[in-house]
Amino acid sequence: MVKRERGFTLVEIVVVLAIFGIFIWIVVILTADMRAWEKRMPINFMMHPQISGVVSRLRRDVADARWPYYPSSQGTWQQSPTTLILDTLREAGTTETVVWDFSKEGEVTRLAFVAEQQQSSWTAHGTPTFKILDFPIVEHPDSVRIQAYDKDGKLAIDQIFQPRAH
Amino acid sequence: MSLHSRGYNRQMERQRGFSLIEVLAALLVLAIVITTTMAMFVERQKRMQAANETILAYQAISNEIEVRRRIPYDKLEDPDVSPSTFLTLKEIDVLAPLKPYAATVTVGPAQNYVKTVTLSVRWHNAQRVERVSIMRVDTGGSGLW
Repeated sequence: MVKRERGFTLVEIVVVLAIFGIFIWIVVILTADMRAWEKRMPINFMMHPQISGVVSRLRRDVADARWPYYPSSQGTWQQSPTTLILDTLREAGTTETVVWDFSKEGEVTRLAFVAEQQQSSWTAHGTPTFKILDFPIVEHPDSVRIQAYDKDGKLAIDQIFQPRAH
Repeated sequence: MSLHSRGYNRQMERQRGFSLIEVLAALLVLAIVITTTMAMFVERQKRMQAANETILAYQAISNEIEVRRRIPYDKLEDPDVSPSTFLTLKEIDVLAPLKPYAATVTVGPAQNYVKTVTLSVRWHNAQRVERVSIMRVDTGGSGLW
């Protein structure tokens, strides 16, 4: 004789589904705020070591910049919203001319020159598109503002740097 | 009853399926495991969210510091030159994702030719606050800072 072959009743299935439904509803509530926040916030580029490296190296170059700070050209490079040229101090106390090239999508290149001879080259990969702007501070119009937007057009990086007094 | 039919009946008893209690117990265990995992995931996301918001706040604060340290010492309390709101957020607002927020600047009284300028950003109904203070020294008008 076979015992209990009847399977589940409709009430049993409804009870199980109701319990599981409540559980799923709790999970959705828990994640709703998170999803709304993700839509609002820009990508945190600063968590990327190469991107934060670009920002911190540029900050140091501008902080150490020496008068007249921003020459109009270096070799074939010209100052532009995607190229920043500046004269900055080296560790030895001498001056070098640094070219920050933001013109290529997805990468940023820093080139250093002494007396027209290239001394070093460093390229950061996986970067957003940077833009160089002026940010005039009263009586100190030598500041640089660097910005980067994520793919949804949200402002992710906005930094103002200025040369320090030597 | 033959040996064959007794074995058949035992096999049929083993195939009777799960009871409602067994299914509920299994679902309970599954729910506990998934809820715990989700709770860990949500907590991690909250911490990531807090870190990302802090990075935005510090970008705004560091920009404002660049401006405030160039304002002449004797004009730090002049509301026309040194207002109590951030000068760097007028046109481009890196703090837009944190709205509504309050970005304020306060200047402490001079003590021994030093004024403390405090820059604060508050958001999430002031539950989150990031604050940085800089010391401005009266250098007699020189460009040192």
